Amino acid sequence: MATLTPTLTLVSTDASSDEINFSVTDSLNVTKNVISPSKVALSTGDLTLFAAASYTKSYVYLRNTDDTIVMDIDFGTQLSIQLAAGEFAFFPWESSGNILAKSASGTPYLEYAIFEA
Amino acid sequence: MATTATISISSPDLLPGGSLSINASATLTKAGVTADLDQKESGVIKLATGTEFRLGPLATEMSGDVHDIGSYIYICNNTTEDATRYIDWGINETMIGRLYAGDWMFIPWNASDDAAEIEIEAQGGTNIIEYCFFNSDFILPTAAS
Repeated sequence: MATLTPTLTLVSTDASSDEINFSVTDSLNVTKNVISPSKVALSTGDLTLFAAASYTKSYVYLRNTDDTIVMDIDFGTQLSIQLAAGEFAFFPWESSGNILAKSASGTPYLEYAIFEA
Repeated sequence: MATTATISISSPDLLPGGSLSINASATLTKAGVTADLDQKESGVIKLATGTEFRLGPLATEMSGDVHDIGSYIYICNNTTEDATRYIDWGINETMIGRLYAGDWMFIPWNASDDAAEIEIEAQGGTNIIEYCFFNSDFILPTAAS
C-alpha cells in the first residue's frame, strides 16, 4: 500500500473583499492500479480514457496541456467538466461510468493520472 | 490580481525507483476570456442523510452566453467523526464519486444546462462540507413578492 498526498491551494485577492488563501491536503491509500502522469492526444471524437469495468474506487487527475483548445470530459452522456487551456481537475471516481474525453478542435494533449484505492 | 488554483500530488512510495510529484497551477478566468473571476460563493454546510441536495446554482441562474468554462467548484468533506461517513457527488443524476472524511475535489464545472447541476448526498450519517464556488455571472433569484 502506498500513500498519496494531494494538496490544493486556492488564492484570490479580488473575487471578494475577503481575500481567499487556503490550502487543503489529504492522505489517500492507494492499493491497486496506478497510471502515473501520462499524455494522450485527443480528437473531437470521444475517447474512453478510463473504462469503469477496469477500476474500482479511484482518484483521477486531469490537466489540459494545450494553450488554447478546450477539452470536454464526461461520464457517459452529459458534459460534466470542461478544461480550458492549462486547467486541471482532481476528483474521486467510483467507476460508476466510463470517463470520456474529447477536444473542441484539433489534437491537444491531455495529461492524466489515476490512482485506485 | 487573479484567482489561481494550484495542485500538487506526491507520494514517496507509489512508484518503484522514485517518488511521484505532480505540480500544476491554473489561473481561473471568466468563460472564454482572460478576465479575472469576480464572483464567488463559499460556506460550510451540515448535510443530513436521506436527501440529495443541489450545490451551486442552476445554469439558468447564471447569465452570459457561454458560462460553461467560467465555473469552478471545490468541495471538501470536513467530517471527522466516523470514517464510514461520506458524500456522494454527481452531475446530471449520475453519481460520480465519494468524498470520505478529509477528501476534497476541484473541477472546472461544465454548467451547460440545468440538468448539469452538482448533486451531493450524505451517507452514513450527518456530514459537514465546506465548499467554494467561483463563477462569472450569478443571478439572484427573483423575490417571491
